[in-house]
Amino acid sequence: MAEPAHAPSTRRRRVLQGLAGGAGALCLTGCERAISGLGRMAGQSLPEQPSLAATGEDFDPAYHLLNRAAFGPWPGQVDDVRQRGWESWIDWQLKPDAIEDRACDLRARRFESLALAPGNAFELKREVIREELIRHTLLRAVYSRRQLFEVMVGFWTDHLNIDLEKGDCIYLKPHDDREVIRKHALGRFRDLIRASVTSPAMLMYLDGNENRVGDEHGDVPNENYARELLELHTLGVDGGYTQDDVMAAARCLTGWHFSMQGWRRGRVRFEPRWHDSNEQVVLGTTIPAGLGPMAVDRLVDIVCSHPATARHISWKLARRFVAPEPPERLIDRLAAEFTRTDGDIRSVLRVLLLSSEFRLSAGMRFRRPFEFIVASLRAMAADTHAHAPLIEYLTRMGQGPFQHPTPDGYPDEAGPWMGGLLWRWNFALALVSGGVPDVRVDPAGLTRALRRSASGDDTQTDTDMDTGPTEELDLFFRHFTGRPPTDGEREALRDYRAAARLGEGRALEELMGLVIASPGFQVC
Amino acid sequence: MTRRGWISQLLFGSSAMLRAPESRTLVCVFLRGGADTLNMVTPFADDRYHRLRPTLALKPPGADSDALLKIDDSWGLHPRMEPLLPLYHEGRMAVVQGVGNDNPTGSHFECQDQVERGIAYGEAAGGGWLGRHLRSRNGPPPGPLSAISIGATLPELLRGAPSASALRSLEDIDIRTPVGDPELAADALSRLYQLPVGLLGEQGRATVELFRRVKALRESPTPPGPGIEYPDDGFGAGLHEIARLIKANVGLEVACIDLGGWDTHFVQGGVDGLHGRRVDLLSRGLAALHRDTAGSGHQVTTVVITEFGRRLYENGSRGTDHGRGFALLALGDGIRGGRVLGDWTGVEEEQPPGPTGLRIAHDYRSVLAELLRGVIGNERVERDVFPGVALQPVGLA
Repeated sequence: MAEPAHAPSTRRRRVLQGLAGGAGALCLTGCERAISGLGRMAGQSLPEQPSLAATGEDFDPAYHLLNRAAFGPWPGQVDDVRQRGWESWIDWQLKPDAIEDRACDLRARRFESLALAPGNAFELKREVIREELIRHTLLRAVYSRRQLFEVMVGFWTDHLNIDLEKGDCIYLKPHDDREVIRKHALGRFRDLIRASVTSPAMLMYLDGNENRVGDEHGDVPNENYARELLELHTLGVDGGYTQDDVMAAARCLTGWHFSMQGWRRGRVRFEPRWHDSNEQVVLGTTIPAGLGPMAVDRLVDIVCSHPATARHISWKLARRFVAPEPPERLIDRLAAEFTRTDGDIRSVLRVLLLSSEFRLSAGMRFRRPFEFIVASLRAMAADTHAHAPLIEYLTRMGQGPFQHPTPDGYPDEAGPWMGGLLWRWNFALALVSGGVPDVRVDPAGLTRALRRSASGDDTQTDTDMDTGPTEELDLFFRHFTGRPPTDGEREALRDYRAAARLGEGRALEELMGLVIASPGFQVC
Repeated sequence: MTRRGWISQLLFGSSAMLRAPESRTLVCVFLRGGADTLNMVTPFADDRYHRLRPTLALKPPGADSDALLKIDDSWGLHPRMEPLLPLYHEGRMAVVQGVGNDNPTGSHFECQDQVERGIAYGEAAGGGWLGRHLRSRNGPPPGPLSAISIGATLPELLRGAPSASALRSLEDIDIRTPVGDPELAADALSRLYQLPVGLLGEQGRATVELFRRVKALRESPTPPGPGIEYPDDGFGAGLHEIARLIKANVGLEVACIDLGGWDTHFVQGGVDGLHGRRVDLLSRGLAALHRDTAGSGHQVTTVVITEFGRRLYENGSRGTDHGRGFALLALGDGIRGGRVLGDWTGVEEEQPPGPTGLRIAHDYRSVLAELLRGVIGNERVERDVFPGVALQPVGLA
């Protein structure tokens, strides 16, 4: 990934020093104000006339694409899709290295703890790393122009879940985020898994570090990682492997280790004394004796090229991008592409996003809390630096980033998230009224921009400039959900507005909040 | 298939979202700081106790009004536990002696983390044990208020729960409109969620209903029943909020609340000293909670745990240092109470690595598992909440 590593570059230092008047240190609100200002100039703002969803009954396809292949549209971004065309937009997003993203970098690449080698991170406080990693993730999701890339970062973060709170994982996860997830998010599946196998964070999270044989350890490997590698990361639970395969895989992996102490702290190495160098048979394929550290490469080849893996990953992608129970035919096609391209993630995604199943799936996915919060921030063109109060909302809704305790990652199904509606409603109402600390929005400005768009909108048959309540409602629905309101939605909110008898400005704010709180915005 | 039918099937499968209010609530009280439970449920007949605690030993029953409350020939309750005495005699409160964990560090932080995660020393966690319980228990998916903790943040205990909220009070359960009337917003949301958009109707209705119930509760503060008085502090207020939620049928399954101030290294004090005042708060609070919810039709079970007990002997500054085993309290109608349970062989010291203290006869996870399985009815406890723990029932349930 050419998204430049998070190592503090001299260029970045210069920029920051320039901004902060040489103060140098991070987290200055003055510095953040300056970054916000630069961000606005670089497009992190409300466009003059953000184009609206079409007035047809159905979901606007440009909105749909941005709802799934991105974290929802930034005002005006649908123009981007319309101008480039669906397919070209996808191809553009599939090459994130070529997408200029400096304004986002300015916001998100300020966190020193994320740039450290895993051994050095131990010097920092846990809270500092946790906060910086989460802020970085949220800021990238909101502001990056490499939206599909960020969506896939989220996907693999769930797929190769690591809970920061387990053991010392928190010191190692920033490295994993950088060198495993972000490095390979749109690369080859095999490379992603190979990187993950010996990632210090994964070695710690799933006990690979304890997976040893030899004199002082006996002959009982720790199978925890090997089991999850087969069950969750590659073949899937019904992928046809046996307990013997798990054990043989665990034996291949013995001896990979990273030190928690001394000058080698955080460095991964292969310890031949702890490795079982016997021949192993995994999924019917023999890994010859004596390969030493190369045995792991053979193992990764075997599990990644297994047909069950192609299906499992295809199913998971389809579930995330299309619907909770994706059509079999689509999974077949994705799996075939996965196999044909030797697990090229871009190619599989391309087939997926160009499929008719994907096109027809608008409104069928329940937004998880992270997606809900990010999509609403984007739709409002919010200016934030993702401080604690915003993170707090996520935690309350049950999706604190990197906090899922078990290796299966945050669930994709709607069921587990259903308890959090009240917090969503309150977030929506707080967001539009400037009630979330450190999140600046301009609902009046957004309303004006939407009115301008509507008046210049060719597809709008009713060019009446009268800004009656109905029209605003229509604009809000088209802007936030990608379609006009249904009769029921219109009536419910029109009645609300009449009953509430609020002054113009605040009434619009509240109306906007209710649209974000409405079921239409909980799905996408 | 119609588009809507497809959506419905894809989004939710066939699971029904409607749920009846859960009628069993588990309240977990965590005594932060390592409670000296030996001065709460006290083996007054054991000479060793009096020898090891020359100034801190509580007076044997009958001595005067500040003496231990005799519950049988061996055991007495701290005099400030008097509010709990009726519950004990009605068989609705049990004590398990010699409960503990294998953590040798003697660190509050480490031991609290371990006890909240429900793991053995050095084991890695998959969230908190109450989080795992809520994910594994039978029944409909958890509602918006299935799990709460009183305070500003969620404790590790609840991590991994499908839905859990930290509440300072019922005030948190509100619809906060910037200017308008929250009732009107609730009406609008209620109508919006009944529309066939996203098919979130049941959950929308449940949420609006929750808001309305809690709002009614807030607007007409129902005082606790006659003669029931919660302690006038944060702990008492928190327990009162828990009772109100239970009585309001909001589907509360698990509530967590802390009581701090148990780290009594220095001048632990007598019956009304540093330690005694905490015992008094705890006892009045728990008695109020259980009397307040008694006729509500809900089964309320309370478990009181701490990260470790304290040393058997008092230190040079008339306090007690970090120890090992402690006494666990369990209250509720489902408890086979009126008894001091556990494999008790006297005031015996543990000689493990790490601090010494009361001998641990029972892994805390085994006792909690017995409670979750026998009283709360989670049949997947051994598999999903405390995997790998050998269950040794003490007769709690």
